Amino acid sequence: MGLTPAPDRGTTAASPVAAGARVAIVAATACNLVAYASAFVPGGAPRWAAWLFAMSTVALMTAIIVLGAARGRGGIGPLAVPVAIMATLLAGGFAAALALPPVTADSPLWLGLPPAAAAVIYGIGLLPILVLPVAYARTFDALTLTDDDLARVREAGARHRAARGDAPRGGDA
Amino acid sequence: MSALLALLAGGPVAGAAALPPLARPLIMGVALAYLGLIVAISVWASRRTKTASDFFVAGEGIGLVALTVASVSTSVSGFAFIGGPGLLYSVGLGALFLSLSASVTNVMGAWVLAKRMRLLGEVRPMLTVPDAIGARYRSPAAQGLAAVAILVGVIGYMATNALAMGVVLDAIFGVGLVPGVWIGMGITLAYSVAGGILAGIYNDVLQGTLMAVSSVLVFAVVLQLGGGLGGHSRAILAADPQFLGPFGKMAPLQALSLFFVFGVGSLGQPAAIHKYYMLRDPRQLRWYPLLKTVGLVLVLLLFFGVGVSVKALVASGQLEPLARNDDATPTFLLRFTPTLLAALVFSGVAAATMSITNSFMNIGAAAITHDLPRALGRTVRDPLRTGRWATVAISLVAIAVATLSRSMVAFLGIFGYGLFASTLVPALAIGLNWQGATRAGAIASIATGLVVTLACETLAFAKVIAIPAGVSVAGLSLALSTLVFFGVSALTRHTAAASLDDDIRLVMES
Repeated sequence: MGLTPAPDRGTTAASPVAAGARVAIVAATACNLVAYASAFVPGGAPRWAAWLFAMSTVALMTAIIVLGAARGRGGIGPLAVPVAIMATLLAGGFAAALALPPVTADSPLWLGLPPAAAAVIYGIGLLPILVLPVAYARTFDALTLTDDDLARVREAGARHRAARGDAPRGGDA
Repeated sequence: MSALLALLAGGPVAGAAALPPLARPLIMGVALAYLGLIVAISVWASRRTKTASDFFVAGEGIGLVALTVASVSTSVSGFAFIGGPGLLYSVGLGALFLSLSASVTNVMGAWVLAKRMRLLGEVRPMLTVPDAIGARYRSPAAQGLAAVAILVGVIGYMATNALAMGVVLDAIFGVGLVPGVWIGMGITLAYSVAGGILAGIYNDVLQGTLMAVSSVLVFAVVLQLGGGLGGHSRAILAADPQFLGPFGKMAPLQALSLFFVFGVGSLGQPAAIHKYYMLRDPRQLRWYPLLKTVGLVLVLLLFFGVGVSVKALVASGQLEPLARNDDATPTFLLRFTPTLLAALVFSGVAAATMSITNSFMNIGAAAITHDLPRALGRTVRDPLRTGRWATVAISLVAIAVATLSRSMVAFLGIFGYGLFASTLVPALAIGLNWQGATRAGAIASIATGLVVTLACETLAFAKVIAIPAGVSVAGLSLALSTLVFFGVSALTRHTAAASLDDDIRLVMES
């Protein structure tokens, strides 16, 4: 269709970071299946299954984010730091939940909750909000959707509609 | 695990505590005022709905704040106010693994799906989620198969929420369960048919605002009772320390499985991702994840606060143990909050069930009138009129299921979320970010999700097979469909380029 080529960011297909993310998605998903499979053996899931499932789920979600955010050979650029912080928070929260001693009647309280519960609720449920959505907003213009991107896509859309005789945007389908 | 998913879909099915006679007039008054607002919004929206694009995607003209509040409203359903606190009261903090991933999922969805789906709307006339799959793979078959999966899940969600509406309206107005189902669905149907998704969006804004405000106010009451969160924790630790363990009374794998299914599976929920098409300006996506996440946290405060507070009040002897877990919120509201606040929350629950039902009416109607005909190579002549009739038809099916067979409702309510996740996440969320994905991979993945979910849930429901503790059919199905997607795409990689049009490639590279 003679579309204007994308600038030097290249394609997601050519990105080694995106390729690595896809490998991580497959590996992490396979690990989740292994953990599930371990629950079918007599005696139920062993303790390592929860560790495997927790860490592979963190890897999976991190890899999906990287796959979505990767832009050509530049990978995810400055987003690597907030993404790494998020992965550390999730992995640390799960590790605390699995490793800390069981809660007892005289457990100390951190911000109103026993330590392991606090690590999960505050570390996994709240702290990532201060990192990733803010990083997304701050890098949006440069790394997610530039004006050039939008102009190229709109130009392609106009050509596509003209070629196929589609209704203009917002019209009836 | 399946029961937990059923709770999510079903919301307040088990019913609310009986309203005290003195509180009933105020609660009825607030509910009637709320219904009046719905009617007003619907009349306004119906005058602005003139095309199928208006009906199904609001003419791609929704602003950021409205879209965000509406998305929060449809994401949580009545579960956040009734089923969630009841579940937390029952199994402890492990119940929070249903919602913990919200800190990450909205930004994950923004990177993976939001921009690409919104940009697809710039190059093609996009009305539905299966439209994106059909365009991505140049495949009417993949689009049709995705529509079938969505339709199956939609019927289940609508039936469970129809029953929930009946329970709530019966509790407020004393009209009886079945009339409550008809009244609730009738109101939702009226505004859906008249104003399509536009009425839905602006009613969602009202409903989401109501839910957020009432959730924050209830949480403030929770913090004032019993010495705040620390006081509640001390009371619970003295009686039942396991409740405040990180996984509560759930097995670690069981709780983690919830995190996986509701985290990764969020990328396949059509009621949420369908809304990406509707945003007026794609550049407004910049603030969408932050606003939606904050909105969700506010709405979920009630889930956490009431669940913990009721447990503490029972542990300290200030409240009798509940007869039913789902009585946690109604009991707390009627005993410990001002009647006006209780009235707002009860209206919020009704609002939430109507909100999610409206979304699914719209999505189901689009599958019938748009995706399935397209998959069969046919064109609907008058999509707006047909869409309205399809909305009526699908609603009648849901009402029939809800009023005729409780066991069917329970069964259908089990697998909606997991079915959407396993059929849509690989083909859509990963497929829009990987040019090596193929049409065969997408079709095989969707079929795997559909077959595994239906077969395993049916066999488990019929007690033919036993799913071990910690394993969820939804998680199993999602993992299998993901691996099938990658495996079949790898085997057919020579066809990848043929599955991708230039304009779609440009969207994926932007």
